[in-house]
Amino acid sequence: MINLTIDGLDVQVEEGSSILDVAQFYGIPIPTLCHHDGLTDYGACRLCIVEIGKGANAKLVSSCTYPAEEGLSVRTNSKRVVESRKMLVELLLAMCPSSKTIQDLAAAMEVRQVRFKVEHNDCILCGLCVRMCAEQMDAKAIGFVNRGKDRKITTPFDIKSDVCRTCGACMYICPACELRCQGPDPPGDVCGACANIEPVCLEDEDDKMCFLETCGWCYKELGRKKIKEKKGK
Amino acid sequence: MKIKNLADLRRIKENIIKKAKTGKQLITVCGGTGCHASGCKKVIDTFKREIKKGEIENKVEIKVTGCHGFCERGPIVVIHPKGIFYQKVQPQDIKEILSETVLAGKIIDRLLYVDPLSGKRSTYEKDVQFYKGQHRIVFGKNGLIDPYKIEDYFSIGGYESAGKALCGMHPDKIIDEVKKSGLRGRGGAGFPTGFKWDFCRKAKGDTKYIICNADEGDPGAYMDRSLLEGNPHSILEGMIIGAYAIGANEGFVYIRDEYPIAVKTIKNAIEQARQYGLLGKNILGSHFDFDIKIVRGAGAFVCGEETALIASIEGKKGEPRQRPPFPAQKGLWNRPTNINNVETWANIPIIISKGATWYSSIGTENSKGTKIFSLVGKINNTGLVEVPMGITLKDMIYGIGGGIPEGKSFKAVQTGGPSGGCIPKDLLDTPVDYEKLKEVGSIMGSGGMVVMDEDTCMVDVAKYFLEFLQDESCGKCLSCREGIKRMAEIVTDITKGQGKEGDLELLEELANVVKDTSMCGLGQTAANPVLSTLKYFREEYETHIRDRKCPAGVCRDLYISPCQNACPAGMNVPGYISLIGEGRFKEALELALDTNPFPSVCGRICDHQCQSKCRRNQIDESVAIRSLKRFIGDYEENNIEYPEIKVSMGEMPFKVAVIGAGPAGLSCAYFLARLGYKPTVFEKLPVAGGMMAVAIPEYRLPNRILQREINNIKKLGVDIKLNTQVGRDITISQLWSQGYEAFFVAVGMYGDRHLGIPGENLENVFQAVDLLADISLDKPMASPVGKKAVVIGGGNSAIDAARTILRMGAKDVTILYRRTRREMPAYEEEIKAAEREGVKLQYLTAPEKIFGEKGKVKSIECIKMEPGEFDKNGRQKPIPIKNSNFYLDVDIIIPAIGEFSDVTELFTGLDVETKPDGTVSCDKNGVTSIPGVFSGGDVVSGPATVINAIASGERAAVNIDQYLTKDRTRTYSWREHKKVDTFFDPEAEPVKYKMQKPSALSSDKRKGNFDEVELCYSKSMAMKEAKRCLRCDLEIELQEKMEQEKKAKEVPI
Repeated sequence: MINLTIDGLDVQVEEGSSILDVAQFYGIPIPTLCHHDGLTDYGACRLCIVEIGKGANAKLVSSCTYPAEEGLSVRTNSKRVVESRKMLVELLLAMCPSSKTIQDLAAAMEVRQVRFKVEHNDCILCGLCVRMCAEQMDAKAIGFVNRGKDRKITTPFDIKSDVCRTCGACMYICPACELRCQGPDPPGDVCGACANIEPVCLEDEDDKMCFLETCGWCYKELGRKKIKEKKGK
Repeated sequence: MKIKNLADLRRIKENIIKKAKTGKQLITVCGGTGCHASGCKKVIDTFKREIKKGEIENKVEIKVTGCHGFCERGPIVVIHPKGIFYQKVQPQDIKEILSETVLAGKIIDRLLYVDPLSGKRSTYEKDVQFYKGQHRIVFGKNGLIDPYKIEDYFSIGGYESAGKALCGMHPDKIIDEVKKSGLRGRGGAGFPTGFKWDFCRKAKGDTKYIICNADEGDPGAYMDRSLLEGNPHSILEGMIIGAYAIGANEGFVYIRDEYPIAVKTIKNAIEQARQYGLLGKNILGSHFDFDIKIVRGAGAFVCGEETALIASIEGKKGEPRQRPPFPAQKGLWNRPTNINNVETWANIPIIISKGATWYSSIGTENSKGTKIFSLVGKINNTGLVEVPMGITLKDMIYGIGGGIPEGKSFKAVQTGGPSGGCIPKDLLDTPVDYEKLKEVGSIMGSGGMVVMDEDTCMVDVAKYFLEFLQDESCGKCLSCREGIKRMAEIVTDITKGQGKEGDLELLEELANVVKDTSMCGLGQTAANPVLSTLKYFREEYETHIRDRKCPAGVCRDLYISPCQNACPAGMNVPGYISLIGEGRFKEALELALDTNPFPSVCGRICDHQCQSKCRRNQIDESVAIRSLKRFIGDYEENNIEYPEIKVSMGEMPFKVAVIGAGPAGLSCAYFLARLGYKPTVFEKLPVAGGMMAVAIPEYRLPNRILQREINNIKKLGVDIKLNTQVGRDITISQLWSQGYEAFFVAVGMYGDRHLGIPGENLENVFQAVDLLADISLDKPMASPVGKKAVVIGGGNSAIDAARTILRMGAKDVTILYRRTRREMPAYEEEIKAAEREGVKLQYLTAPEKIFGEKGKVKSIECIKMEPGEFDKNGRQKPIPIKNSNFYLDVDIIIPAIGEFSDVTELFTGLDVETKPDGTVSCDKNGVTSIPGVFSGGDVVSGPATVINAIASGERAAVNIDQYLTKDRTRTYSWREHKKVDTFFDPEAEPVKYKMQKPSALSSDKRKGNFDEVELCYSKSMAMKEAKRCLRCDLEIELQEKMEQEKKAKEVPI
C-alpha cells in the first residue's frame, strides 16, 4: 500500500493506481473528458490536472496518467489548478462550442465566455474513439495521423478500412459529434442551462414534463418572449 | 585486425604517429556542412589535382577534416605544422597557396582573417580572435582528424579512455568520476549525467539499453551535427564507457535523416570500430560486449524528447508519455534505458582521460565544463563556438562573435532554440550557465544562440517560433496543440494590425497555462518565446496594437513604406520623391511641409534613418532621400512660390505657451497653429532655432535657411518672444495667471558636462557648445588665429567645434577621443570631412591634467588607453595604460563631452517630476506629472536628433489639442496618409545605377570661411535621383490590384 495526501486527507491506496483513481475512490471530484473507465488513460485533454509537490517545485500533472507515489501531496482544487482548467475548457469551447459535454464542463466551472476565435470542429482529438476501437472493439481501424496543428483522427491512408465493422462505438463515445446543444445563445456563450439542472421552464410551469430532445429549446422561446416583453415596456 | 587489449591499442597509436612523421606539410581543409555550402568540395578537388600536377606529393599532404567552427569564413584551410590560417579560400587561390605558402613559406595577406573590431590580420589559427576566447576541449579535435579514418582518431589518443575505463575501472568508479566532474546533460534540461547513469545502473532488469540522442532539430543549431560529422568516434567511445558503467550491451544512435553526412560518418565509424574489435564481443579483452545500431529519425522535432524518441525507436508514433516511470526504470521495450545527447557522450572520454578534478575546474559552481554554441543570426563571426560555462553573453557576442554587422545595434539574443527565450541588451552581463539563463526566462537548450539586431521585430520573432512549434508539437496535449495555435493566432493578428486591447493579457494568461499544464518539455517551454518577449519587449507589442506601427519595419501590414516607417516624423518619403521625379516641386514641398516644418534644415543635418532602411539598398545603394529633401527646399527659395499651408478655419480659444524655440518647440507651435491656435514661443536667446541656430555651424546649416523656415512658421500666427527666459524673466505660474492653459517645455540641453580634471578653469578652455554659440551670435572671443587647439570628445559637437576653430584660423587642431574610431558617435561623413580639412584625430587618448602659465592654458597631459572589457552596447571600455603619459603644447582646449539640462529654475514652484540626469520625465506623448504641462525634445530624451525633436513636438501638439478640447477622438489631417497621383510602372525592372552624391566644396576653398560645404543637386540630377525610388508604398496596393485582376480573368467553371 502507498500512503499519500490528497487535499490534506491522508489516504492509502494500492500500488499501480493513478491519482485520479485515488480521488475517485475517495469521492473527490476531478473533471475529466478523455478519461473513460473502460479504456487506458491517455492524458490528452489535461482537464484532470492536479498540483503536486511543494513550493517552487510544485507542478501540474494530469491525474489520470500520473501514478500514486509514496508521500505525494496532491491538491485537486488549488487556484493554479482551477484557473488552468478554466483556460483549457475555454480552448475546448473555442474548438467545438456546441458540444453538450463541453458546454456542461464549462458551465460547471463558470466559464462564461470564449475569448478566442470560435471554430466548429467535429473533433477535439481526445482520442477516446481511437482507444475504444483498439481496446474494446479490438479493431484498430482508426488512429492519429500527422502532428501539431495538422493532427487528425482517420483510417490509414484516409481510405475505408477493411477492419472497420462500422460498429459505431467511436461515435457512441465521442463527446464532440454527439447530438449538438442547440442552446439559446450565440456560439461562444455558455448558458449553463442544462448543467444547472433546474430547467428554467419549471419556474413557469408547475409540473411540466419535457419531451424535447435537448434542454434549452423552451428556454430559447421563453427568452425571446422576455426580451420582447422588455422591449414592449 | 582486432585490438585485443590496451597495450595493442597503444602500439597501434605509436605506429601511426611514427608513420606520420615524414616531415611533410599538412594542409587541412574543413569539410563541415558550412564549408560545403561555401564550396569546399571544389577547393579539395583542386588541391588534389594541383598537388599531383606539381609532383609535390612528397612535400605536402592534404586532409579533409570535420567542421572547424568558423563557418562564416569558409572554406577554411589550415597549413600545419605552423598553423597558417586561410579563410574564404576559392579554387583559384590554390595554385598560389601551394607555390607561395607551401613551397616558398610566404604568407598570402589577402586570404588572412581580418578582425572586424581592430582591423588587424591574423596569420596563425591560434591568433584569430574567434578562437582566442574559446576553450575547445571537445570540438577542437575536429580540425585535426579525418572523420572517416579511425586511425586519425587513434593518433590523438582515441579509445584510450575506453581502454582505461574498461580494463581498469569498476563501473561504480566511472559513475563516481562522472558525478564528480559535474557534467550535466547537454541536450538542454541539464540533468546531472552521473546521477542519471546511477539510476539506470541500479534499476532492476538484466537487459539495459543506452541511446545517443542525435535528433537535433532547433532552428539555427548544428553543433551535434558537426560533432557527428567531424568526430564520430568520440561519441562512440563515450557510449562504450557509458554502456560499461551502466551495464548495457546494446546501444542506439537515434539520428535524424536530414543529416545525410552525419549518418554516413557514424555508420562508417561503427563499422571501423567493429573491425578493430572496439564494438562487439569482449571489447579490449575486458569480457564486456557492446554494439551500436543506428536508428534514423524522420525529422519530428518532438522526437528529441526522450519518451517520444523511445516510442519512435519502438516503431510507434513519436509521442511523449507521462514520466514517471522514467526511462531509467522503464524505457525502451520497458527495459531500463539511459539517453544522453551527442555532446554529453563526447564529453565522457575527456572526463575519463583527464579526470573529474580537471574537468570540474572549468565552469561555474553548478555548471561545469564547456558548452558548444552555434552563434548565428546578425553577427559578424557566425559559427560554432565552444566556451567554458559562465562566460558572459556580451563576451560571446562582442568578443568571439565580433559584434553586429554593418554597425547596427544589438537588440536581443535568443538562446535554446524555439523553446528558449529572448534576452535583451540590458541582460548581456548574464553568465551563460543552466541556472542563470533560466533566471532571465530562457534556457540553455542544446546551445542555439540567435543574435538579433535593431531590424528585428520581436513580435515577429515570437510569431516565427510559435508557427514552428504549432507544426512540431506532437498534438497530444490539448494545452500544447491548441494553446500554441491560439497564441500564434493572437500574435499573427497583432502583426497584421488587428490586435486589440486585452490581447496581451490573454496571451500571457494562455502562455502560463500552456507552460503549466503540458506534459512534456516541448509544451512546458513552448511559451518561453512569448513570455520572454512580453517581459522584455512589451512596449513593442503595445506599439503594434495601439499605434498600429512596427518600429523595426518588419510587419508588412503595419507600414506603407520602410522609409516612412523609419522616419520619426513619419514623412511621406515616396510621395514627395516621386513628385520630384515628375518635376512637380511645389507639390513635393507641400507634401514635405505637411509633416515637417523644417524640410531644408533636415535636408542638411538629418541623420536620415530612412536611408538606412531604403530597399533600394538591396539592389545597389539607397536613394539619397536627405539630399532630395534639401533640393526642394533650396529650389523653392529661388524658383517657386512657397506653398500655402493648410490652416484650420476656426480659431481655438485657448492660449498655449511654448518654452524654448528649438526644433521641438517650433514644431509644436507649427502644428498647433495649423489647428487654429495662436501659440506664444518664449526663447531665452536673442535668436530662434535653439541648437539649430547656435550649435550647428554655418558651413553645415546656413542661418539664412533656418530663419527662412522659422519665418514661415511665424506667418501662421506663431508669436516668438526672444530674450525671455521663463523661470527668470517670467514664471510658469505667472503665465498661468495670464490665461495660458497649456505649456510645452522644450528647453533642450544647454549645460556642458565638465571633464573633471585639474586645470579646467584656466583661461582659453572653452566649452564646445558655448564656443559654437558665441561664434554664431557674433560674440567676441579670444582669436585662435595661428594657435594650437585640442578638442576633447567624439560626438558631433566635437567635430563641429574642431572644424569651426579650424575655419577661424587655428593652425593645428587635434581631437582627442578615449575610445576607437569604430565607437565614435559622430556621423561618419562628418569625421571624414574633418579629416579631409586637416583635423587630426587621436584615438584611445584621454586628458589627465591641464597646465597653465599666468592663468592661461599652456599644455595638456594625456594618457594612452587600450580597449578593455565590452559593455552592453558592444563598446570596449577604455583602460589607461600605465606610464604612457605624454604632453601636448596647446593654446586652446575645447571639451565637448556632452550636455546636460537643468530645469529647476524653470519649474520653480511647480512639482514636475525629473529624472536623476536632469531630464524631464514624461510619457512618449509628452505628458508630464502636472496636467497642462507637456514636454519634449532633448530635455526629455537627452541629446538627440532634430527629426526626433520635430516628432516629439508634433506628438505634444496633438496631445495639447486633445487635452484642451477634452476630445480624444479628434483626427489630424497631417497624420493621414496622402496618396500621390504620380505615375509608376510596376512591370518595369529597376535599372542599376548608384546614388548620385551631391558635390562638395573642395577642401582648399573651405579655409577661412563658413561657406556651406555640401552643395545642392541640380534640377536634372535631382529628378534622376528621385526616379531611383522603388515605390514600396505601392506594394500592397498593387498586389491587391493584381489579385483582383487575376480573379477577374479567371473563367468560372
